[in-house]
Amino acid sequence: MLGKGGKRKFDEHEDGLEGKIVSPSDGPSKVSYTLQRQTIFNISLMKLYNHRPLTEPSLQKTVLINNMLRRIQEELKQEGSLRPAFPASSPPADPLGSSYREAPSAFSHPAPAPCELGGAAPLEACLTPASLLEDDQDTFCTSPAAQPAAPARLAPPALPPEKDSFSSALDEIEELCPTSTSTEAAEATTDDPKGDSGGPGAQRPEGIQDGRPDDPKLMDSLPGNFEITTSTGFLTDLTLDDILFADIDTSMYDFDPCTSASGTSSKMSPVSADDLLKTLAPYSSQPVAPSQPFKMDLTELDHIMEVLVGS
Amino acid sequence: MFLKFSLRSVFYGAGGGNDIQWCFSQVKGAVDDDVAEDIISTVEFNHSGELLATGDKGGRVVIFQQEQENKIQSHSRGEYNVYSTFQSHEPEFDYLKSLEIEEKINKIRWLPQKNAAQFLLSTNDKTIKLWKISERDKRPEGYNLKEEDGRYRDPTTVTTLRVPVFRPMDLMVEASPRRIFANAHTYHINSISINSDYETYLSADDLRINLWHLEITDRSFNIVDIKPANMEELTEVITAAEFHPNSCNTFVYSSSKGTIRLCDMRASALCDRHSKLFEEPEDPSNRSFFSEIISSISDVKFSHSGRYMMTRDYLSVKIWDLNMENRPVETYQVHEYLRSKLCSLYENDCIFDKFECCWNGSDSVVMTGSYNNFFRMFDRNTKRDITLEASRENNKPRTVLKPRKVCASGKRKKDEISVDSLDFNKKILHTAWHPKENIIAVATTNNLYIFQDKVN
Repeated sequence: MLGKGGKRKFDEHEDGLEGKIVSPSDGPSKVSYTLQRQTIFNISLMKLYNHRPLTEPSLQKTVLINNMLRRIQEELKQEGSLRPAFPASSPPADPLGSSYREAPSAFSHPAPAPCELGGAAPLEACLTPASLLEDDQDTFCTSPAAQPAAPARLAPPALPPEKDSFSSALDEIEELCPTSTSTEAAEATTDDPKGDSGGPGAQRPEGIQDGRPDDPKLMDSLPGNFEITTSTGFLTDLTLDDILFADIDTSMYDFDPCTSASGTSSKMSPVSADDLLKTLAPYSSQPVAPSQPFKMDLTELDHIMEVLVGS
Repeated sequence: MFLKFSLRSVFYGAGGGNDIQWCFSQVKGAVDDDVAEDIISTVEFNHSGELLATGDKGGRVVIFQQEQENKIQSHSRGEYNVYSTFQSHEPEFDYLKSLEIEEKINKIRWLPQKNAAQFLLSTNDKTIKLWKISERDKRPEGYNLKEEDGRYRDPTTVTTLRVPVFRPMDLMVEASPRRIFANAHTYHINSISINSDYETYLSADDLRINLWHLEITDRSFNIVDIKPANMEELTEVITAAEFHPNSCNTFVYSSSKGTIRLCDMRASALCDRHSKLFEEPEDPSNRSFFSEIISSISDVKFSHSGRYMMTRDYLSVKIWDLNMENRPVETYQVHEYLRSKLCSLYENDCIFDKFECCWNGSDSVVMTGSYNNFFRMFDRNTKRDITLEASRENNKPRTVLKPRKVCASGKRKKDEISVDSLDFNKKILHTAWHPKENIIAVATTNNLYIFQDKVN
């Protein structure tokens, strides 16, 4: 379907991906829709957590990105609520319908199926440069290895791929702060019939096309919501609210690998150990400000750097 | 001779954006665009148009003054030359949050001139300052107790008395801060607007709008507050605000969701409930993931008449009749060819760029900026539009600017530029139009271009 052969020009769909709503009911368009949604989701998360401002980040920008994430999350929730009917289910009629305007705050209630919320899929691999999505619809399959798996995965409504990349994404985040709970979750994700990835720390080659089927057990074991609170050592009592609307230094969870896949249009720069240490230096010399929700420890920093650099 | 004259009057009488031939006049700023502090962040003509103020990222204000025209040989209108430069704001450090407060000047607004001095308000993210700019071209000489160089004379050597007299000196322009309005904004100030009573003004940040009296710095009234009790529920912020040019009780503010609210301060002290809500229903065929972001309004400006207001969102300029809330009366597409690129523009943050817009003196033409150092003008009467470029390549005075065209897709004609070769780092966010004449100031990243219509 999206295989080799003459390059087809989706002239009639040229602005279908960007400008119009692609109905999730038809096969390839649905993939493109979910692909775009996934990409936008990833980009949004990276924007929120990669920002290392010396000055306060723009509240307007934060709010808009936040709204984007919420909207996608709502959509996924809706699609997820049809999961019992999978694979014969019909997708929701209008994914952007009711959830489009003013999604109620989803952060305060734990989601029924945490897996659907989606974290960032393995960042280095799944950062489809957005320009790819715009220019050439044929490049959905980013590598030949994914293609044999593609028909099998895409035949049913493509709910599983997103969930799996979400859970793998959450793994990524957890990897940065390994604890017993997260290791369990990570191990749970390796129950993977397709077996296209190794242990919990493995970087999946193309996160977008992850093809692991539903794993209800997996979803239950994952922490809910956007709260990155799995680690006891890294971020304690930190909610998304704090991250978004409080002024904390988020440089600690800069994700290094994004430069390789993100292309020239991305503004992310790699974080070296030096950079991290430099950002920490002022904190260690200053008296602790009461508004800082957490204190950094240099030993923890070493540990984190090991994980970032070593994996 | 007579024929030429009458043709010319046809051109200038209509005042249309397209009938005007815009010519390069001047460019200010460094040739190499490297210094971050020189990035121009605001441009504003004063009420007579004689003065043009710019603010930059380094907290400086530079004021240009138009030369008085030489009546005998007016090849062009007077040039703008530097009149005064001063450091308006300094960077500060918020110790509580461990964050820097940028000194970048977000907005400058002139007060109408009441005496020999000029006054303007300039603001950064947190603090507004009232500056007095005054000229000194005379100084007193002949003091009894002081020597000319300032040293004090021994009183016992004074044998006669004289009255000091004023003698001319080289013109000196002094800027002094007369009022500092601080500590009233938790969030970043995005707008200031002087009321038509010339006594009060408003300042707006992301969540609140405050009303000040120009004479009183230690308190302000909060007139709009959209901060939710639980910040997690925040989904909308204030993006711009402006007082009505004639009604001193009326102001509008725009939001990140594409709505504009008109408020009447007579209705209640806290204007959280709007008198009018302007919002255009979304076009379902254009819906996308980015619909909300591109609907966010980056600027709102009343027309000089006060009958209309103009809003700028990411892709378009809309003109609203204050009497009609459900849709704008006119919509102009600024760069519709970007609609298919929104994902990339989201990725590189360009989608968050805040373009401003402005009216000409007669409210017949509106102007706004775009990428690749292009700027656009829309004539409301003839419905024609034009795209021009601010570039040093056309920098011979009185060179007529050539209209530019962006080719969205398909075959690119000669002289057209394809969307993919646009430079998204070269953006024109700030433009200003002289209140009375066809002179415009266009700011690229760190250069200020002045264009005027062709005068013969």
